[in-house]
Amino acid sequence: MELEELQQVWTELSREVEKQKKLNHKIIMEMTQQKYRRKFDKVTRYETAGTVICILSAGFVLFNFDKLDTIFYQACGVFAIVFLVVLPLSVLRALKKIKAIDLINNTYKDTIVAYTKAKNRLLFLQRVGVFSSFIFFFVTLVLTGKIVHDKDIFQETEIWYFVVLVLIGLLFFSRWGYRMYLKITGSAENLIEDIKP
Amino acid sequence: MTKEEAFVAIIQEHEGIIYKITTVYTNSVSEQQDLYQDIVYQLWRAYDSFRGESKVSTWMYRVALNTAFSRIRKEKRQPRSVALDHLKIRQAEPYDKQFEERLRAMYEQIDQLNSLDKGLILLLLEGKKYEEIGEITGLTKSNVGTRISRIKERLRNKMTKKA
Repeated sequence: MELEELQQVWTELSREVEKQKKLNHKIIMEMTQQKYRRKFDKVTRYETAGTVICILSAGFVLFNFDKLDTIFYQACGVFAIVFLVVLPLSVLRALKKIKAIDLINNTYKDTIVAYTKAKNRLLFLQRVGVFSSFIFFFVTLVLTGKIVHDKDIFQETEIWYFVVLVLIGLLFFSRWGYRMYLKITGSAENLIEDIKP
Repeated sequence: MTKEEAFVAIIQEHEGIIYKITTVYTNSVSEQQDLYQDIVYQLWRAYDSFRGESKVSTWMYRVALNTAFSRIRKEKRQPRSVALDHLKIRQAEPYDKQFEERLRAMYEQIDQLNSLDKGLILLLLEGKKYEEIGEITGLTKSNVGTRISRIKERLRNKMTKKA
């Protein structure tokens, strides 16, 4: 294709494009907000997948609750179920709230107030998650030993090597997860700064 | 007229610019929609600093091309085969077959070029003078002229090889 021919096709394309104007006020302003929402899309996908796994695990504990024959095991079972259901759902709710902030129709002050509140809640839940996951890990071991093997798993000496390894892994994973949240919220904050009037 | 209304009016008037740039710099519907949103967002960000010293279209081309360049740099996207799917997203009715073929051929030619040359040919096809192309891309008028001559040469050579 020579340049003259390219020019002809381009002119024809331009004519077609002009005929088909599609954007309206709502679509255009929505586009400016999409970028903010997309910041949280990836983490929402991970959290949703995590929530499904947590709820299935809670179902497993609930299904085997009759095997937990002492008050101690039953207390562990209740803690596990509550932890596996309440925390992930609260995180999803917090993410939904932070994504729902209306950057366009709110005033800048309202946006900042709403965002700070939603961000603090999200980060608070993450901190709760990090600390309680260490307790949850021990509870999981107790419950797994009881439900699967019907014995006190801590009587086995080898289990302690596993415990130390997992605790180190958990420590790094928690730090990485929390930092990821700090990064996402920080970057969303920069986007909000951009819409400052 | 509020800032928001004025911005929307500008985008509505010149939406063709964004559309054409996104078709040249992407290969799929989702990529195109992402770039489209990115450009509108960057225009909104830059709107406050637009003082009206240049034409609105010049400002829009500059912001839109810079957004496309920075996206390419981030993604290190390699040229791939041209799919026509994303060229159809705004069509109410399908183009006729012959025009579709010519359109595909045109995008195939443009897709052979590097990102800066793509921008230059796009601006040239939009009927911009070398001086305005320079204003948009930050190149000097003579540099624009030299690069465009090379692009023309390359297109001609491709034609000869094909023939």
